[in-house]
Amino acid sequence: MTAVIEVENLTKRYRSTTAVDDVSFRLEENTIYGFLGGNGAGKTTTMSLLTAQNAPTSGSIRVFGERPYENHRVLSRMCFVRESQRYPEDFTPRHSFDAARMFFPRWDEDFAQRLIDDFHVPVHTAIKKLSRGQLSAVGVIIGLAARAEITFFDEPYLGLDAVARSLFYERLLEDYTHSPRTIVLSSHLIDEISDLVERVLLIDDGRLLIDESTDDLRGRAVTLTGNADQVDRFAEGRTLLHRQAMGSVASATVYGALTDAEQAEATAVGLERSSVPLQQLVVHLTKKTRSGHSHSHALAHPTPSSEVHS
Amino acid sequence: MTTATHLTRGPLGSIERTPGATMATGTRILHVVRLQFINRYTFLWVPLLITGAAVLISLAIYAMVGSDDPMYGGAGQAPLWYYLAMGVQAMSLTFPFSQAMSITRREFFLGTALAAAVSSTALAGFYVLLGIVEQATDGYGLNGYISLLPWVWSSGWAGAAALVFMLTMFFFFAGFWAATLYRRSGTMAVTLALVGLAVVLLAVVFGITRMEAWPRVLETFGTMGPFGAAGILACAALVAAAGSWLTLRRAMH
Repeated sequence: MTAVIEVENLTKRYRSTTAVDDVSFRLEENTIYGFLGGNGAGKTTTMSLLTAQNAPTSGSIRVFGERPYENHRVLSRMCFVRESQRYPEDFTPRHSFDAARMFFPRWDEDFAQRLIDDFHVPVHTAIKKLSRGQLSAVGVIIGLAARAEITFFDEPYLGLDAVARSLFYERLLEDYTHSPRTIVLSSHLIDEISDLVERVLLIDDGRLLIDESTDDLRGRAVTLTGNADQVDRFAEGRTLLHRQAMGSVASATVYGALTDAEQAEATAVGLERSSVPLQQLVVHLTKKTRSGHSHSHALAHPTPSSEVHS
Repeated sequence: MTTATHLTRGPLGSIERTPGATMATGTRILHVVRLQFINRYTFLWVPLLITGAAVLISLAIYAMVGSDDPMYGGAGQAPLWYYLAMGVQAMSLTFPFSQAMSITRREFFLGTALAAAVSSTALAGFYVLLGIVEQATDGYGLNGYISLLPWVWSSGWAGAAALVFMLTMFFFFAGFWAATLYRRSGTMAVTLALVGLAVVLLAVVFGITRMEAWPRVLETFGTMGPFGAAGILACAALVAAAGSWLTLRRAMH
């Protein structure tokens, strides 16, 4: 595969904090990445650095083999609309789309129009009067219709309802199939995007914790369901991510893959194996790193919430 | 030369339009100018509207006052303050948007400067037009003048136009620089810069007073005429523009 972005030892320090801490990774062409991490983990800063909206303290960034800072050849092939994107005074969505059409060489106006209808964006209303969801939709439309070779979506769902969110995922996948490109989806709603992303980058406290294919990551844990005693017998001595029981039936999520022998044994005693929600794994791995591998406390209370909190 | 090679070779023989090739920088700068004018209200209609409104208000006052002597008003400076705000907004709102459009800082700066020049030209043109009307109608039949001030027009319409153009450019870049400084270094930096500027001005005033040079200074200003004043403003605008660029080069989100 061909790398479109190569990052080595990237660090961004502000006066009192280190937002990105010695991070290295590669992004391959025509792949959808999930860029995960809690609030303040360093996601937006990293994306700003990659798109040259910000300059690194140290480390190297290569986009299509070139340094992106003040480099129009590279920049015009990328698109990054941030979650807190600001627009010129009195701009309407229409103004913004007209501008995007000028600057993104692969802009698709018909597609933009379809998305405007899909998301019910009032194109002639001043942007500062839009609801949070409509504002997010403007960013999403620019990101999708620009068809940039590398597109970043920075928590694109903020304020969007469930219907609009699933519409976004649908359109994204459709368009990706039709014109493949590299897409980086930064998100809190891990389970919502887990079917979309082929590879996961997990960042916490400025450090890259995981850079792995979604399938491999899922294989790191397993959920066993069946007779409570059998389940507990299997879970013993393993790291328990989650357990719930109902009468004599229990289900436990344990970290670490089962060996072939263990799998056979589990089947023999009537336990059902199923894959683990990505979110649970991400929460676990984040906590594990934060507590310096002494995770017993954190695991006693698995977070059931739908977001990873920092 | 065959068509095929013609398509792939530029004037200098270099290969052009390779996959993913992008627009030329010049085109992108012109697009930034268009970006600034997408919403024509900001850069065109509002300054003209402010000037127009100031003129109407002045006329109402002239009509109420009524005088046989010519009446001169300072309403012409009204749009200047808007240009200061425009400079601030070009930085604080349009710059972040330009980044989302994947525009380099250099392209944004040059395109925005060009847009400000276009807007200043329009305002200068309007001001000259107003002066011509005032001349033709003897001050709207009221003997009241807003544009046609004797000193401003002492070198003809070109001098007046140059003065208005440079004034607006200076105000625009002053606002732009202040906003850039704020974005890059925060409130403290802007405050310190303004305090520093005040100290410098105070030192100049003190120096002139100390050397009892006021009559000479005033005379110089009186004799240099509108072109001379425009020249000084051009220098000030250039300093503000250069300062803006040096600050913007490393301004971050």
